Amino acid sequence: MPSSRRALLGAAATLLLTGCSSDVLGLRRAVRVAVSWSGEELRAFHKVLHGLGALSYPVEVVPLGDDISTAFDAPAARRPDVVMLPQPGLVREHWRDLAPMPDDLAPLGQVRLWRNLLVQQGQTYGVPFKTAHKSAVWYRPSVFRQVGVQPPQHWSDWLALNRTLTQAGVTPLALGAGDGWVLTDFLENILLGIAPSVYVGLATAAHPRPSQQPQFGAALRLLGTMWSAPGALAGGVKESLVQQFPDALVEVFGHRRAAMVLASDFAEPVVRSFAADPDDIGLFTFPPMSAGAPAPVVVGGDVMVLAAPISDNSRDLVRRLAAPAAVDPWIAEGGFLVDRRTSGYSPELTRLAEQLTMPGGQLQFDLSDLLGALGGINGLWRVLTDFLIAVGGRGTDAVPDAVVAAMSAMRKVETS
Amino acid sequence: MGLQTNGLSLEVVGREITGRPVQGKPRRPAGPFLLGLPALLLSCVLLVPIGVTVVKAFVTNQHFGFGNFAVIGDPAALHAVGNSLLWVLVACGTVAVGFSLALLSYRLPAVTTLLQPALVIPFAVSVLVSGATFRMIFDPTPERGTITAVTTRLFGSSPVWLGPGLFWIVLMSAFGWTWLGYVVSLFRAGLDAIPDDVSRTLAAEGVRGWKRLWALEIPLLRPITGVVTLTLVIAAVRVFDLVLIVVPGSMQRSADVLGLNWWRASTTNADSGRTAALGVVLFAIVAAVGLIGVRGLRRRRWAMPVAVVPLEPTLRRPRPRPVVRRLGWFIGSAVALVWVLPAVVLVATALHSPREAGLRGWWSPSGLGFSSFAAAANVGLFRALLSTLVIATAATAVLLVIAVPTAYLVAWGGLPPRVGRVAMAVFVVLAVTPVQMYAAPLRDAIDAAGLAGSRVSLALVHAAAGLPFAVLLLRSAFASAPPAVVSEALQGPVRQSAVLATVQRTYRPALIAVAVLEFALVWNDFIVGFLISGPGTTPLSLVLWGEARQFSTSSGPVAAAAVVASVVPVVLLLSFWRTVVRGLTTGSRP
Repeated sequence: MPSSRRALLGAAATLLLTGCSSDVLGLRRAVRVAVSWSGEELRAFHKVLHGLGALSYPVEVVPLGDDISTAFDAPAARRPDVVMLPQPGLVREHWRDLAPMPDDLAPLGQVRLWRNLLVQQGQTYGVPFKTAHKSAVWYRPSVFRQVGVQPPQHWSDWLALNRTLTQAGVTPLALGAGDGWVLTDFLENILLGIAPSVYVGLATAAHPRPSQQPQFGAALRLLGTMWSAPGALAGGVKESLVQQFPDALVEVFGHRRAAMVLASDFAEPVVRSFAADPDDIGLFTFPPMSAGAPAPVVVGGDVMVLAAPISDNSRDLVRRLAAPAAVDPWIAEGGFLVDRRTSGYSPELTRLAEQLTMPGGQLQFDLSDLLGALGGINGLWRVLTDFLIAVGGRGTDAVPDAVVAAMSAMRKVETS
Repeated sequence: MGLQTNGLSLEVVGREITGRPVQGKPRRPAGPFLLGLPALLLSCVLLVPIGVTVVKAFVTNQHFGFGNFAVIGDPAALHAVGNSLLWVLVACGTVAVGFSLALLSYRLPAVTTLLQPALVIPFAVSVLVSGATFRMIFDPTPERGTITAVTTRLFGSSPVWLGPGLFWIVLMSAFGWTWLGYVVSLFRAGLDAIPDDVSRTLAAEGVRGWKRLWALEIPLLRPITGVVTLTLVIAAVRVFDLVLIVVPGSMQRSADVLGLNWWRASTTNADSGRTAALGVVLFAIVAAVGLIGVRGLRRRRWAMPVAVVPLEPTLRRPRPRPVVRRLGWFIGSAVALVWVLPAVVLVATALHSPREAGLRGWWSPSGLGFSSFAAAANVGLFRALLSTLVIATAATAVLLVIAVPTAYLVAWGGLPPRVGRVAMAVFVVLAVTPVQMYAAPLRDAIDAAGLAGSRVSLALVHAAAGLPFAVLLLRSAFASAPPAVVSEALQGPVRQSAVLATVQRTYRPALIAVAVLEFALVWNDFIVGFLISGPGTTPLSLVLWGEARQFSTSSGPVAAAAVVASVVPVVLLLSFWRTVVRGLTTGSRP
């Protein structure tokens, strides 16, 4: 036995040596890229990195999930070099921890919508990598045909559509309330639809106080009207609460237990890979709140920022990733929109991309991402989760009290 | 040695001598003290940051006082404290259940054949893996979740198992699944060590049933109960990654525990005094339980006889009647089947394509294949695997090199009794200290040294964190050496080396237990790497965590990554389990 044991030890030693010779020991400084993506998105990003060709430095992808903002709170030495920030609003709070973009990249961050977020003190601190259209509703056309309805033209049309579906025995909505941002996306679309100026005011305020805006309450009431309709939510409130956003997509397209789901463009790969019938996929955009009003378009996205202190390698990586062709592998995978580009996508995403570039549209940046902690897990996410629990499936009578409770909960968060 | 005369069977049994073989004050050369130096240095890796945290907790605006502890008045923190205390109860419950299972398997011997490996597997996998497995089993859609499918079939509808309140069942199942094997094995080893002459005497005196339990088993197992309770309570109070992976985001607030609360506070730029105070509270809870546990360890009520000659088969416990054996075998197989089911679910899920795994459960016949493994490999699984291997190997090697001489010094190295007691007390306190007590200052120090993200520093921290437990275990094992052997060795010309050689030969189980447990612990670690190295390193568990963010649609790749991550610790623990248990139980002997 000793000989085999020796062989085993030898093999282990060789393995260790080969391991050490690479960057496994962490001694060779890799460019660390923090991302919030996981699953298909993470895989697609690895494809993008792979497509960059041979690099002279190792690249390490650090998936941080919803806690990506912690990337900045770390002391300089531990900070990831490049952060794909899904809440560009954080740049305003953290620009002191960031390095400005190199001059040749800076213009990319100075385009409309992004400029307010990314330019501080005359310097550009980020460039958009990925744009998200957060006002898309995916649905199954076959159900609509069967019941004899069309995608809604405005809000009350949508409520009527839900009623028609429920009466026909079809559950209208799946809601991935396990992810707080799914709820805020819903509310933001309504608020942007009924009171764009209030929305902008909150988005640009130094100390936003949503609870002091009556229109915020009005948006909650409208939202409550949709969520409180009996039988509107697949699985009811309890199941919605434990559903993450991909689960809601699977409910609609995989298990076919609901007709539609509010989900951004990046839902596309999940929709396509889990759809029971690949031809039964439709998409409409969030309807205007009243006939004739402009449709709300909430825009989100991931921006590339460089954490200070900066190295030549990370600057090089950002430059390569910012090249227009770099993201082609991800566009081919689906569920990826690039700012100001309208070609190369699937038909559904092309429509979304066109709406994003359409002049005169009611385009605004994702509000909860601009509110900082107020819009996050212990702020708006929690308030809306409790709101959903209070109204879900209980009928319109439950709405007024729930709105009052949500407003006072919001006040509490604002002052803490 | 047996003797038979006039139909009477006599047997000579050696009994351990307590106390030193030679009276008087021994000569104390200074040399052995150097053996403790590396351990002292390594312990400073923890001791200094702990000191910093304690000072920080008590200093508010440059004033010394309890100001920072007002944080406990915060309803969210109070809720977390409550939940952490609830977890302590869960740990005690697990100990009780484990004890009854061990007793059952002791009374019905055939139970163990299949049960043993079935119980070891969950202990070998990481908390993250068992959390992910149970989240799959309790998935709210009947197409995917086994339990939901069963309850829907039985009752027409199913409660939402991951929903409000009910997620506790999922958490507790995962916790129990992980730890019960450890508890049962240790209790069973303790029960097996009860000398038959004692059992027979008690039986002759008519002490049976419950009375026997109170008079014999419970008092005899007190040291093991101490070790087991201690490990479980520490694990329960440290619960962190389990909540992160099992509880859906919308429910995390109600599942909040102190460890999580601390982490949120420390990442949201909250006042560092406040987070330090939270760490101290967490530590106080663990230390209180730890000290009670150690009191149990200290009691020297019983000196276990050492069998000099193996017992003759006829004198062993009588073979149970066939009916009892069959019953035991049946019960054992049934429990074992239930126990391996989660592992089966995990492997079967991994063997489905990502689409099928996300759409339908592990039992679905379609979509079988290895594409989930390919998907997991595409997010850097193998690089993380290699880096985890490096960290675990380095930590284990450093730990052994430092812990063995230290344990020898404390056990037989001639340390003055008072110094020895202080050293042991420090090690006990360090062994139960939660990561939150030292994480923040330690990572600042590592960053300042320019070692952020290096695997070497992480391995050192792991070795430092594992040192107290290793020294405690090894010391007990060394100390339970027959004093005659040690005194002979001590008197010989090559004193220390001879003792070390004896130790090496006689106390291998404890050494192997320490090495295997440390390796598995570091391999499965999430929290230390996460809190100390931050986002810089990507050990295996971080990859798993990243994959698990969109849980059910990624369940194929998550399961595949979990299976790959679990192969090494499962194989390691399955092959060394008997030795590990032997090592752990020698350690618990007074």
